[in-house]
Amino acid sequence: MFEWIINSYLLFVVLYFVGVNVSYTVMMTLSLREILKYMHHNSFSDYRQTVQSELAVGVSVLAPAYNEEATVVESVRSLLKLNYGLFEVIVINDGSKDRTLQRLIDEFGLFQSNQIYAPEIPSKRVRGIYRSRVASYKNLVIVDKENGGKADALNVGINVAQYELVCVIDADSILEEDALQKVVKPFLEDHRVVAAGGIVRIANGCEVKNGRVVRVGLSTHLLPLFQVVEYFRAFLSGRMAWLNMNALLIISGAFGLFRRQAVIDVGGYRTDTVGEDMEIVVRMHRTFRERRRPYRVIFVPDPVCWTEAPESIRILQRQRNRWHRGLMDVMRFHGKMLFNPRYGAIGTTSMPYYLLIELLGPVFEFIGYIATIMLFVRGTANLDMAILFFVVSLLYGVMFSVGGVLLEEISFRRYPNPKHLVLLLFIGVLENFGYRQLTAWWRIRAFFDYARGQRGWGKMQRKGFRAGA
Amino acid sequence: MQTQLIIILSVTVALTFVVALVSIGLVIHKAVNAQEIRRRQRLYTHYSEKFAEVLLVDLPPIPSNARTSAIFKQYENLLVPIKKELESLPPVEARLHREMLRGVLVDFARDLSGDAIDRLIYCFYSLDFVSEQIELLKHKHWWVRAQAARDLGLLRTRRALAALTAALEDPHQDVRDQARQAIVSLAGVESLRTILRLTRRMSMWTALELSISVQQYGEETVPYLVEGLDLPDQSVVLFCIEMLAVIGFVSAVDPLRRLAKTYPSITVRAKAIEAMGRLGDQRSEDLLVSFIRDPNPALRLKALEALGRIGAPAALPALIPRLEHGTLQEQIAAARAIAATGPAGMDELHRVAAAGTKRQRAVCLHVIEERG
Repeated sequence: MFEWIINSYLLFVVLYFVGVNVSYTVMMTLSLREILKYMHHNSFSDYRQTVQSELAVGVSVLAPAYNEEATVVESVRSLLKLNYGLFEVIVINDGSKDRTLQRLIDEFGLFQSNQIYAPEIPSKRVRGIYRSRVASYKNLVIVDKENGGKADALNVGINVAQYELVCVIDADSILEEDALQKVVKPFLEDHRVVAAGGIVRIANGCEVKNGRVVRVGLSTHLLPLFQVVEYFRAFLSGRMAWLNMNALLIISGAFGLFRRQAVIDVGGYRTDTVGEDMEIVVRMHRTFRERRRPYRVIFVPDPVCWTEAPESIRILQRQRNRWHRGLMDVMRFHGKMLFNPRYGAIGTTSMPYYLLIELLGPVFEFIGYIATIMLFVRGTANLDMAILFFVVSLLYGVMFSVGGVLLEEISFRRYPNPKHLVLLLFIGVLENFGYRQLTAWWRIRAFFDYARGQRGWGKMQRKGFRAGA
Repeated sequence: MQTQLIIILSVTVALTFVVALVSIGLVIHKAVNAQEIRRRQRLYTHYSEKFAEVLLVDLPPIPSNARTSAIFKQYENLLVPIKKELESLPPVEARLHREMLRGVLVDFARDLSGDAIDRLIYCFYSLDFVSEQIELLKHKHWWVRAQAARDLGLLRTRRALAALTAALEDPHQDVRDQARQAIVSLAGVESLRTILRLTRRMSMWTALELSISVQQYGEETVPYLVEGLDLPDQSVVLFCIEMLAVIGFVSAVDPLRRLAKTYPSITVRAKAIEAMGRLGDQRSEDLLVSFIRDPNPALRLKALEALGRIGAPAALPALIPRLEHGTLQEQIAAARAIAATGPAGMDELHRVAAAGTKRQRAVCLHVIEERG
């Protein structure tokens, strides 16, 4: 009986493995098609002239900041230099315990303003709104509020925002100068678009000057390199494929653009989850489909937001743990959508994919390892088959990692040096031997943390961008 | 089971082999491509310099009654060295050179005007790019058609007008957009009538792109835009309203008043009210004041915002109730409109700031701060 159970499970793992790899293959093919379509479509766009027009819609850039005194001034200066006609920068100081607010007041000549706004989304108390006396900083707004977390800070930002579109970014990320122009375009082309995300790339190893990435490079450390390849797979392969099916479930919290009214209509960000960026997108799908309101959620692969990737195992582990707990929250909150044809491709394809492959994948994988070990212990395992299966799974892993790098090389080619390509291809192979298993283990641990009721972000330390390579 | 796994392994190995081959190919391609890019850059620089000479060289003056062909003859002489160079090349090489040449001409055309653009257009014709590009308007790939339409527009090749007009009916939106832009550049303001009539469901992006071309002609476009207000497509009507507001011609006020009063769609009526505010003509004041009491909140808000732009002292009595009772947005817009009426309005704001309710005070202080 025991043998039968174990063997049945292993058969399930094999079938699961086939299903996963077929999904990845389909996704990669769809992504390639979608990327080429995007590149052709945008080769004629004169962003520069068009979005400077007085007819273009305004954008409110929201940057929540918590204890960012070391980098906040440089980040704000970089945001103020964005190349876009009509925009404002709203920095939300989320009850920082350091001198974040004071540094902003000193640097930008701020005064406490009488500005009022309609609190359309409930939030923690706002202590004050600051504006600058300096003419060149007229589009800068600083909101000081009680600590309530990133989601709460964003809700305040959305309340205060005066423009039709709100761009959500991390205060410590770097937006490329033309990123706003590119991410706004889908909203202007199609009035049904309610949310759009841009690509997030790893800045470790790049040269940063005056809040701008001036030379693209690769880190000399292994962990950020693995993450470069992971991000290619996630953004270029994953999200482009979901875009093709209009079933995109995530817009990265580091860089996303939303129609303000749409965010208000769904009630703003939830403050009781660590996966608020995914949750709000899923809630938009759910709400608009239930209300039968036409809408679209878009991913734009070209506008770039550079972010600093964790270089230490401990911090990376916390990040992955948090992402996985966020995914669990989303599945718990919106379980009703799973396998539900009422929600179209979201209910029948992308939610099941995230449940079965992203959320439960590591669990199936590890139970598979344990089952195999048990069969070996009892002396009933088929060694040849086990090795064969292991080799096949590794080869598929390699293929998809390398595929992500190839998608980047075929399309945007941000890494100019052929040596970079060789290194990334090598990393694409290497990450399947240890790194992938390690991240799977962290994701399994997230289940235990979730069961224990851990809901916090965990401390994230950043080194800050370096001026050199 | 074993057979199935072996099949899977074989497929995997085959796919991995393909990926490995593609990877190696891309690495080699990247290295080779770097050289190719450098070569293209060299060619581009070479032809940029040649054409800079063609554009800058002083030509002997020609009598004003001379035939056009005399001017063309002068231009043709300037092209002789380039043509000789092209003729001396093997066909594959010549194709690359022509591609770079076309790139140079298109890039130059973006920034030139006057005699320089005339020379450039002549070169485009003489080097036989025009027929080539017109032919490309029928290409099976939409992006090739779109690029051809764009290039023909930039090089102002009037011979392509018929082909471009046909491209307005192209199945792909991008081709239609590029053709629309090209026709405005080629045929001038008169083309606007045809373009507006043939346009359906104009996106905001298309409107923005078209607005850049339309704005070059300024007030000349007003009759066509006013005519466009009666077209059946709502997106075209919205575009015309927007452009009339931007161009700021007062003869647009009456048609806008009519739209604001009678058009069936609230979106269009709101846009017309907004445009009246931007035009700032006092003839709109009465109508705007009447909209302050409209049952539709979108129209009320737009009317208040429009009055805030115009600054109408006569509207003060109608504005004060809106400051006292309205949604927050309406209160702010009313306060701004009151402030715009002048000193009497500012006095009123100070009075409410001192004696009004908490929200009224907040609104007044906010607007007083805005006014500096």
